[in-house]
Amino acid sequence: MAAVTRPMKQPWHRTLRARRTLIGYMFISPFILGFFLFFVGPALVAAWLTMYDWNMIQRPFYIGLGNFHKLIEDDLFYQSLKVTAYYSLVSVPVSLVISFIVALLMNFKARGISVFRTVYYLPSVVPAVANAVLWSFVFNTEFGLLNALLDMLGISKIAWLQDPQWAMPALILMSLWALGASMVIYLAGLQGIPESLYEAAEIDGAGRWASLIHVTIPLMSPVIFYNLIIGIIASFQVFTTGFLITNGGPQNATLFYVLYTYRTALQYFDMGYASLLAWVLFFLILSLTLLVFKYIGRLVYYEDVG
Amino acid sequence: MNQNLSRRKFLQLTGGTALAATLLAACQPAAPAPNPSEGAQPATQRVEVEFLGMPGSPDLIPEEQNIFHEENPGIEWLLVEQAEGTSRLEQLTTLVAAGTPPDASRIESDVYRTFAHLGLLLPITDYIENDPEFSKPDYWIQPQENDRQLYQGDSYGIGSCWVAPHFYYNVQLFEELGMEPPSNDPDETWSWEQFLEIATELTVDANGHHPGQPDFDATAVERWGVDWPTWWIPLHAAVQSNGSDWVDNTSGLIVLDNPEAMDAIQRIADLRFVHGVAPQSQALEALGMGGAQLLETKKVALIVDGSWALSWLWEIEGGVGTGALPKMTRPGTDMQAHLVTMVRDTADPDAAWELIRFLASPWYQERYCRSGLWLPSQTALMNDVAIADWCASPQHPTGYDLIVTKYTPEYGHYLTMPVGYVKAAETALQPVFDQIFNGEVQVADVLPAAVAEANQIMETEQQRPTA
Repeated sequence: MAAVTRPMKQPWHRTLRARRTLIGYMFISPFILGFFLFFVGPALVAAWLTMYDWNMIQRPFYIGLGNFHKLIEDDLFYQSLKVTAYYSLVSVPVSLVISFIVALLMNFKARGISVFRTVYYLPSVVPAVANAVLWSFVFNTEFGLLNALLDMLGISKIAWLQDPQWAMPALILMSLWALGASMVIYLAGLQGIPESLYEAAEIDGAGRWASLIHVTIPLMSPVIFYNLIIGIIASFQVFTTGFLITNGGPQNATLFYVLYTYRTALQYFDMGYASLLAWVLFFLILSLTLLVFKYIGRLVYYEDVG
Repeated sequence: MNQNLSRRKFLQLTGGTALAATLLAACQPAAPAPNPSEGAQPATQRVEVEFLGMPGSPDLIPEEQNIFHEENPGIEWLLVEQAEGTSRLEQLTTLVAAGTPPDASRIESDVYRTFAHLGLLLPITDYIENDPEFSKPDYWIQPQENDRQLYQGDSYGIGSCWVAPHFYYNVQLFEELGMEPPSNDPDETWSWEQFLEIATELTVDANGHHPGQPDFDATAVERWGVDWPTWWIPLHAAVQSNGSDWVDNTSGLIVLDNPEAMDAIQRIADLRFVHGVAPQSQALEALGMGGAQLLETKKVALIVDGSWALSWLWEIEGGVGTGALPKMTRPGTDMQAHLVTMVRDTADPDAAWELIRFLASPWYQERYCRSGLWLPSQTALMNDVAIADWCASPQHPTGYDLIVTKYTPEYGHYLTMPVGYVKAAETALQPVFDQIFNGEVQVADVLPAAVAEANQIMETEQQRPTA
């Protein structure tokens, strides 16, 4: 009986699959390397620093849970949390609604609509510093555009950036100016809704409002959800406006969490405590995101693509 | 696929590699021929000294570097420029944390003691004491130079210059109004009451009414009498003119809760909220409306600004005039400036010292005094001959020599900012100042508690481990 020869199996690293895997990893290696070098590495070092007092000039000094005790007793930690939560709670929903409405308007097939789309998007590409200077002018108590408008309406001047009651509303108002980025995402989503669905709704007797409620919003819900998540994360990371326009004032009314972390690290030379603040922010954003996924994510309508 | 390499293929590959290597080597630039004249000065003896921050103006520094290199052929002054979008303070701490600190650095006065306390700066007391010029007892304006240099008995830096706030006004405006402007002579400065009277007369609404008159419309002011900014330098000047201090040099504590200091700060707040002669400073600052615009447009008759502003205000339309600030109980102003320091771990402290010495020389200081940016800290620049030279430049209005030789050195006070001051001021004092200068509260109601909190913060900061 002749012996049966089985084909010799090639070692895995010489297979086509291995080569493809290797090439794939090479292509994504810039991100992987960056992720480990500039995110995971520093994050782990920051986690280690939470147990240390480090002024960045001398060696870190082990203090155990000292930074955690400081956190519990730190009034400015709570103030910065309050300020950031206020900003997030107001600016995110308002921005979601307004940018959605603007996207609906920009979705009309009207003559010259691309010009309007460009105009609405332009503020998003204006550098943050230029934005800050511009809005400082608008909010100026003595000579500002906004107070001039109020004056025309017979309303007395508001110290937008000096009054702690008004400083945060002013910054929220300013943030709405740059809603072009989320508007563009909405617009892309709106243009992906098949026209046939609207035609079917029309045949069923739906008006524009009914089409919006029963066709547009359900189909846009993944996009709305995406903008909500991104908006929440971004609102907890706001820094530039508070730093440039109000520097956290007046009376810490705009002391955003990240601004306070920045001050703690680089102005008060307390990198250990700042690292703890950064980790607290990470867990806060993570928890909020998970909560939003759990309670709002279930409302999102995903088309059955199978 | 046959993975074996044939002999022919192997020879082709090795031959090609050798040819490519030869071609690459041929393309390399030729090594420079040794220069016989450089034999006496081997390259290894040239020490590089990195300096962080601009000691003066960017446009003048290349020329200064050339002169320094001519005077010190064995040292190369490398300028570590400020990274875009980063403060110098952030850059310095980051460089230190990364283990690549500069050899010398410009340090602002608010963190000078904190950095000395943390061991970032090297003491340079011995260098100063052994220097033929700097060791002379009358080399610097005293006691202010010692006040800023000495921390626990040692010098960690030398001030680049002095700057001090004083009045600026548009000469043409005062001529049009037929009013006497403030004097540069501190002995002839206005009392606070005279100043209020003049500021009231200078303030006018759209209908020509002044504050205090029944028809005065505070919402339609055409010209304010004065702009007295409410950040710490102009405020410290006010506190000094009321015979008080911001920080007590002996105890190292903030003493803004003493009655004279609180009274001075209240008077500044009252300029707007009681007398109606001043605009809300923050509003003007936020608008980017600087002194030049305020004076040129005659929107404000008198502004309080630092002496550095003369370097651009001298060109305003109508001509600029200067004057000593009014006295509440005595003439007084603030004296401040950055310091040039030696950073620990410098490879060659002697070379770093040569650069610090150069940056603190009369020649260097005089350049910037002439341009109106600085006031001198060296007495060599304050004698009659020197003043007649640099202070006669077009940047300086007539009579400015009195600001230089009398008002600043005799009535100026250095604000010593102890270890942990920045955190204390920003955390405890600033929110209260926001309230005061927003007209919400009276100084005496809120400042004592804020001062106590600020001192507590400084104490905590000073107790942080430094070992």
